[in-house]
Amino acid sequence: MSSINIEKSAEKGINDLLRHLLGNGKVDAVLAMRMVKSSGAWDLALVTDVKNLAELSPLAPVMTVNASQVLSNLSLSGKKIAAVLKPCELRGFVERVKREQGSLENLITISHTCGGVFPLDLVVEGSVDDLLHKYEKVVATGEIPSNIRDTCKACEHFIPMNADITIAAAGECKPGHGCMIYINSDKAKEALLECTGHHGNDLLDPISLEKLAAARAKEREKLFSSIEKDCSGLDGLVNIFGKCVGCHGCSRVCPICYCTLCDFESANFDYNLPYFEEHLARKGALRLPPDTMLFHMGRLTHMSFSCVGCGMCSDVCPVSIPVAAVFSRTGAKTASIFDYVPGRDVAEEIPVMIFKEEEFPELG
Amino acid sequence: MNKEFTPRITSFLCKWCSYTGADLAGTSRLQYSTSIIPLQVMCSSRVDPVFLLKAYLSGSDGVLMGGCHPGDCHYETGNYHTRRRFALVKEVFDSLGLESARLKLSWISASEGPKFARVANEYTEEIRKLGENPTRKSIFL
Amino acid sequence: MTEATGTPFVLNTDKGLETSLRGFLRQLLESGNIGALILPLKVPSGDSFAWIMLNDAGMIDDAVPFPATMPVQGAKALRSLTRKERGELTVMALMRPCEIRAGIELSKLGQVNTENLILATYDCAGAVPLQSYVSDPAAAEKNFKEFFITGEPDQNAKPICASCTDFSMVDSDIHFGYFGVREKGMLVIPGTVRGTDLLKKMDLQTASGSELLPVWKAEVEKLTEKRSSVRKIVFKKTEKDISGFTGMLNVFENCIGCHNCQSVCPVCYCRLCYFGSEASRTNPEAMVNEAVKRGGISLPPDRIMFHTGRLAHMSLSCVSCGQCTDACPVSIPVADVFSFVAEQTQHTFEYKAGRNDGKPLPLRDFKKSELPGVHKLVKDAEPGGTSHE
Repeated sequence: MSSINIEKSAEKGINDLLRHLLGNGKVDAVLAMRMVKSSGAWDLALVTDVKNLAELSPLAPVMTVNASQVLSNLSLSGKKIAAVLKPCELRGFVERVKREQGSLENLITISHTCGGVFPLDLVVEGSVDDLLHKYEKVVATGEIPSNIRDTCKACEHFIPMNADITIAAAGECKPGHGCMIYINSDKAKEALLECTGHHGNDLLDPISLEKLAAARAKEREKLFSSIEKDCSGLDGLVNIFGKCVGCHGCSRVCPICYCTLCDFESANFDYNLPYFEEHLARKGALRLPPDTMLFHMGRLTHMSFSCVGCGMCSDVCPVSIPVAAVFSRTGAKTASIFDYVPGRDVAEEIPVMIFKEEEFPELG
Repeated sequence: MNKEFTPRITSFLCKWCSYTGADLAGTSRLQYSTSIIPLQVMCSSRVDPVFLLKAYLSGSDGVLMGGCHPGDCHYETGNYHTRRRFALVKEVFDSLGLESARLKLSWISASEGPKFARVANEYTEEIRKLGENPTRKSIFL
Repeated sequence: MTEATGTPFVLNTDKGLETSLRGFLRQLLESGNIGALILPLKVPSGDSFAWIMLNDAGMIDDAVPFPATMPVQGAKALRSLTRKERGELTVMALMRPCEIRAGIELSKLGQVNTENLILATYDCAGAVPLQSYVSDPAAAEKNFKEFFITGEPDQNAKPICASCTDFSMVDSDIHFGYFGVREKGMLVIPGTVRGTDLLKKMDLQTASGSELLPVWKAEVEKLTEKRSSVRKIVFKKTEKDISGFTGMLNVFENCIGCHNCQSVCPVCYCRLCYFGSEASRTNPEAMVNEAVKRGGISLPPDRIMFHTGRLAHMSLSCVSCGQCTDACPVSIPVADVFSFVAEQTQHTFEYKAGRNDGKPLPLRDFKKSELPGVHKLVKDAEPGGTSHE
């Protein structure tokens, strides 16, 4: 629709943008990543005082939680909130809204072309200042930093799909180009009418992102084919998920898994003794607690078509199972049979909630 | 291949069509495979994808889903949902390199006793060729 | 360390501890006195273990009775087996002392039924952190061997293990003791009437352990003393770290609210944790109002609330197994804090988690006159009390 160019770095430009929104009462609060200066710890901050905006690092390649989880509840506050989200967080939120877990109504969603985020263990290891510096350099050349999450390297959707405001933060940058802000909705346009900067009608130039897109596609192919090799057949499945400790952390941090009580933690999967005895009689042995594979396969059928590939699941796995790679690979396949792209459009219904009378002729 | 192998096929059959079809096969004295273990459900859409997974992971050599023909669902649209979910589970199986041939969806109306017997027999043969489900022996599931 | 309830036997350890233990277990299973065993087996990928219940004696050779790490707290395996129905099958579980202690806590909480379980423990030298095992099993095995022999957990063990003083015989039915006597044999010590009966029924034709018992005991006491002194140092540090208004904030500053610590905790048995429930969901409007009041807030909300709440909910039953630390994706020393606080709360009620001594759970019990400390707090808070000075 329209654009604003602020002649500053992307980090400073977005800060100006947020200052404009919060300072002029366009929103009541701003949600974005923050690094706590005194300790170097990261969190998501909800800031209501303009003075505190300087603490925020909205574009930092860090994701402590998929913000869509937090936003679900927050979006029902009735207050206007500007939320700075990574593209996968925004897609996750759109998927949540489809599941009636939040509302876009009072939000101004701000997203950016995303260079990927660091794995959590890297973030908590110590100061990330050095890492950030290197990251920014690499991302500006349109290449993939080597130390970001595996699923980020393989992410095709690094351009936000339906943000009210898009910031150019990754891809090949022309020096001195400034912070480019693209406005995609009337809501955002109205809020930014008086924002300082050169107003124009530029569109996000996908050509500057082609190099990154190609690199990502290559990484995606690499990641998926390695998973296809490792996680194939029952033996492959057991090899990958056999060491699962059943903490279900992957489902708790998942932006799509919104159930308050997961089916697999419910009494549905408690068994009477005859169940165990039958297994003993047949196999001479069984695993306790049972249903390790069922949990992961079950989750694949419950949510994979909505998987946004954010990679939180892999980051919290205590035994380093490449959960995100498996889920985004299967997710790409399950979504494609329904021509579905998770998070593409809030009006698009979840594939298992709808049907066509004529489809899947090969079945039945 | 082991000649002794008798497949076990967990079969979710909807009350209004497929189960009645199975009944008709019986009352018509049609021989059909004893591998079929029928479970009556009110509608094929009652079957959570996890039921199919649980049957598979618990050692069923095959899992059969029977429902009314599209358009004939007693609850009007249940079986359309079933079809989507079945396609979904099949895709999950394929993506993990698991044998999706161990899952079968079939539309069998209440009047199709002979079709039920045929599907049961053919599917049993198909599963017999596939052999025993490896989940029967695996202890790390 | 609890006392033997009968005469211990000695197993020949010429072929190593594991071999002799496997032999005993096979004999036990084949005797028909138990229906199944719960033992750790290596998972097919080779970089972790899983609890396997087995009644096929041939599989005992694949079992690893002394696993180097603790992927799933054993009490969780016991819970999944007995939570719903007790049944007639007699099952023996061989686990670390902290796993059996957690199982005993769960039985008090109605989550494990021990009626047909034979709980067996062994002298535990400690475990390596799960993450180190998964990332390099060979190195972890090597590191484990080192402290497995000395009985003194070193820097390669889970930090909590070095300060654990309940590493030997707990209220288990049968205990396998080898500290200080491993060259001469492994003691099979009955710890309950049930254990004594079982050993009697087995009719083991092995030597009596009466002579080795005092040697083993002395070694366990020596190690307990050493670990006690480590415990004091560790607790002092933790006390300093978490004290004051900002202490907890600092320790838990990296918390992302994933609740892994809770879900791997053996005694946190609630299907739906209060802190994951609708009841604990913050009112969104109140959340923004709170932010307005303070200029901003940190999200997800209530992370410190979660940890302190959990301390209130379960520290009385904490067995200090260290699973919480192992499962934390941002390396917070959760177990150090919980173990330290647990010692204080359990001390307050003169309770020790994991004991089968007939004492009820402290919060299920009261005396009309008790807790002088609380009495004093109440008095101080009254008009004219010291808190008004």
